[in-house]
Amino acid sequence: MRDRIKRLLEEALPLVDLEADFLLGELDSLGVTTILMLLSEEYGVALDSTDATPRNFRSLDSLAEMVRRKLGA
Amino acid sequence: MRIEDCIARHSEEEPHRAVVIDAEGSHTYADLYVDIQQCTRELSSGGVSVLPLRATPTYEFIVRYLASHVAGRVAVPLGKDLPKEQFLSCVQRLSRGSFPEGTADVLFTTGTTGRPKGVMLSHEALMANAENLIEAQGYCPGLTFIVTGPLSHIGSLSKVHASLAAGATVRLLDGLRDMNAFFDCIERSPQRVATFQVPSSLRMLLSLGSGRLKANAGKISFIETGAAPMAESDMRRLCELLPGTRLYNTYASTEAGIISTYDYNSLPLLPACLGKPMRHSGFSVTAEGAVLCTGSTLMTGYWQDEALTREVLKGGTLLTSDLGCVDEEGRLRLVGREGNVVNVGGLKVAPEEVEEAMASVTGIADCVCLGVRHPLMGQALKLLLVAGEGDRPTPAEIARQLRTRLEAYKVPQLYEYVSHIERTPNGKINRSAYKS
Repeated sequence: MRDRIKRLLEEALPLVDLEADFLLGELDSLGVTTILMLLSEEYGVALDSTDATPRNFRSLDSLAEMVRRKLGA
Repeated sequence: MRIEDCIARHSEEEPHRAVVIDAEGSHTYADLYVDIQQCTRELSSGGVSVLPLRATPTYEFIVRYLASHVAGRVAVPLGKDLPKEQFLSCVQRLSRGSFPEGTADVLFTTGTTGRPKGVMLSHEALMANAENLIEAQGYCPGLTFIVTGPLSHIGSLSKVHASLAAGATVRLLDGLRDMNAFFDCIERSPQRVATFQVPSSLRMLLSLGSGRLKANAGKISFIETGAAPMAESDMRRLCELLPGTRLYNTYASTEAGIISTYDYNSLPLLPACLGKPMRHSGFSVTAEGAVLCTGSTLMTGYWQDEALTREVLKGGTLLTSDLGCVDEEGRLRLVGREGNVVNVGGLKVAPEEVEEAMASVTGIADCVCLGVRHPLMGQALKLLLVAGEGDRPTPAEIARQLRTRLEAYKVPQLYEYVSHIERTPNGKINRSAYKS
């Protein structure tokens, strides 16, 4: 799932360093919104502003973890 | 009467009322008055006529900005993320210049083409903008205005002016990246709130925060938008979520000031309708459809560019690059805009400025910067590139180099290598060949 998310985001946000130590620090409001909307569409999960937490947006791994949690919920 | 006189009055009448809340804490009108006096004393000893400053979303910026006015200096709020080299060259240029009597601010804006232009605004214009907003939209004591946009632009700076003149409270936030912080501000505010958001930000709020918007409907006094066209579907959605909130679409520009506004929630929902002129303003449309503005909100002129000033400002009337018409009710309806400027989520970018900055990027033989459709931002910047000799730089490498010369919103998001760039016989980029 991590790699699929990475490919998805690389295409939509070519300028963001997705492997940065703290992903959220690399993003502006457009980046955060784009990620939430893309993941919501790709995996059919409901995501909103309350999911844009530093914990969920720490890295690609934590994004994948958030999606898994939502799929399991 | 100036904005700073209003602050002095509020500090006497309601000294303990909150005036500015930033990430560090809350400050009262009495604090602000004292801090402006203190900062004015420091600035008065400097002897120069201009104060360039980084427009950070902080109480400290607000103090220094207002103190520069009291000290008789011209304030020049520059982008908080303007690259250092650009900032220093701007400071150097400004220190050699002179300004007409009564100039309060110089704000840099993107013109229809090319380099940013310095727009000179008088104290009278700032106050006229504030009074226009106070009267038309109902700024008042007991209101907290949440500012998330750049304070180097008239869109957000004018909200600070209006709030301070009215005795309201300003809540400064560093953009909308943390949407939860924005909603927290609304929920924790002891007062009713208002905000200005460009259409792309409203779309983000609708997409990801509609639940919290609805839950706070009773708390939101009004939301103003402007700077870019807003989709009718987004307007309708916002009206449904916030039935008791005033929702304004406003016509404004750095050069013209805050001209007209329309509440599409209380009045019929009309896309691209920007309402009737406010108290200090007027508008009309030329036979060709260009919007003309009049009134005391207009700029004094472009700094160090008399030729361009004469071109757009004639006998107290400003010729804008906007195309529109006036309907049977006397309301302004906007149709479009002349020139090549790309509107990236409400921030205007001249593609020529990006192309000029590309000259310093290695490994690229030729390029053109275009505006393309974007689902969230309305428009985004795209660079078509012709590779030079050697290794092709990646989009990330190009973006990093551009970022040293341009503010972040001017760095294109999309990149594509092509075999050649369409040019006219005299060597200029043939932009019409790229219009879809």
